[in-house]
Order: sequence, then C-alpha cells, then structure tokens
Amino acid sequence: MAAKWIETLVGSLDQKRQYKHHMARIEALPGPYRNAAEALQRYFMYHGGILDGDTLITMLGDFVDLWERAVADGTPVRAIVGDDPVEFAETFLQAYAGKQWIDKERVRLRKAIDAAAGDNGEEKSA
Amino acid sequence: MGSQMTEMLKGTLEGIVLAILAGRPAYGYEITAWLRDRGFSDIAEGTIYALLVRVEQRGFVDVEKVPSAKGPPRKVYSLNAKGREQLAEFWRTWSVLAERIEQLHHNDNQHDEGA
Repeated sequence: MAAKWIETLVGSLDQKRQYKHHMARIEALPGPYRNAAEALQRYFMYHGGILDGDTLITMLGDFVDLWERAVADGTPVRAIVGDDPVEFAETFLQAYAGKQWIDKERVRLRKAIDAAAGDNGEEKSA
Repeated sequence: MGSQMTEMLKGTLEGIVLAILAGRPAYGYEITAWLRDRGFSDIAEGTIYALLVRVEQRGFVDVEKVPSAKGPPRKVYSLNAKGREQLAEFWRTWSVLAERIEQLHHNDNQHDEGA
C-alpha cells in the first residue's frame, strides 16, 4: 500500500530489484565478457531510448543470458559480437524496438505525410 | 565474408533461420554452428541471438527452457503455425525476387555478348 505512491515517483520497485539483479549478473561475468557486456550496455543506454521499464528489463535479462551462455560454452567475445559491434548492438536493440520513444515521432511523421499527400488513409499498407 | 554478402544476408537471415527451425527445434548456438558449417562463416552468434529474440517477440516460434549441465538453461526454439505461415511467405517472396534478379542477370549477359 505504502509502496504504491513511491512507485509512481521512482518506478516499479520490482523492476528496480530485477534491474539490480541483472546488473549484478553482468558484474559477475569473467573479465573479457564483463568488459564487452558493459561496453555494449553503455551503448544501449545512449542509443536505445527504450521507453518502458518492462521492455528494458526483458532486454537486459536476455542480454545477460547471452553472455552467461557464452561463458558456459566458451564462445569467444568476437564470435558473439562479430566484426562490427555497432551492427550487433543495433540489431539487438531492434529486436525490442516495439516500444521506443521514436515510435511517437514515427506515427506523427506518417500522419503528417498522409495529410500532406491528401491520403484518406484507406490505402495505407502495414 | 565480404560486406556485400553481409548486406544481402541481412534481409534474408530471418527466413534462413525460420527454414532451419522448420526442420527441427534448435537453440541459438546450434543454429550459428549450422550456418558456419555451411559457409556463412562470419555470422556472429549475437546476431542470431538477436534475431531469435525478434522472431520470438513477433510470435513465430515457441520457446522451451531446457536445463543445461553448465550455465543458464538453454532456450530451445521451435517453429509454430504463425512461423510456418511467415516462412511460406518468405519462400514466395524469395522466388519472385530470385526470378527477377536472374532475369536482369540474363539480360545483362546478352547485352555483353552483343557488344
């Protein structure tokens, strides 16, 4: 009950707990994997713009699973991220692109062009 | 693998992975290994992983967590009915695209011979 108003101020406590848990799992990774995961995580924060906490937590959980799995299988860092880590990072983020802040702007852009082109919206494809 | 190959693969990789899963359920590491064995040598495991996450979110696969001797449980992906529809659509699109590009290639060759 008391947690309710706190959560509206600071976000879901459950999400915070899960977030801390996932971050602790990243910190527990062996050296090179941890360094790679932290570098990618930093890039996600700059690039991602993921709006809702649920998506963020799901993404982070999947991300940590990937690295823990790589450690267990002995897969080298390079084999995970490939030649171009930026490419990998952005492909990974795209998998969660359903709820990004840019979505609002995408909707706005489509509406603006529909209006400018005089479309009534009936022939729009998905 | 050259960058042109990488670029071309980008648009088809989802279909390729769905086609692999149509054969039998698999986890990410298996799929990457399978692709590497067949000449897709530069595919990053993370790329396949991200793709599997995406097809999961779009509802094309069912996922089962299978305990593993070492590390976290493995996520085993299997193609479901929606995934099979998507794969059929991929093959239809692929046929049209391949036919049209082959036609361009053919015309181009004829042009070269005539010159």
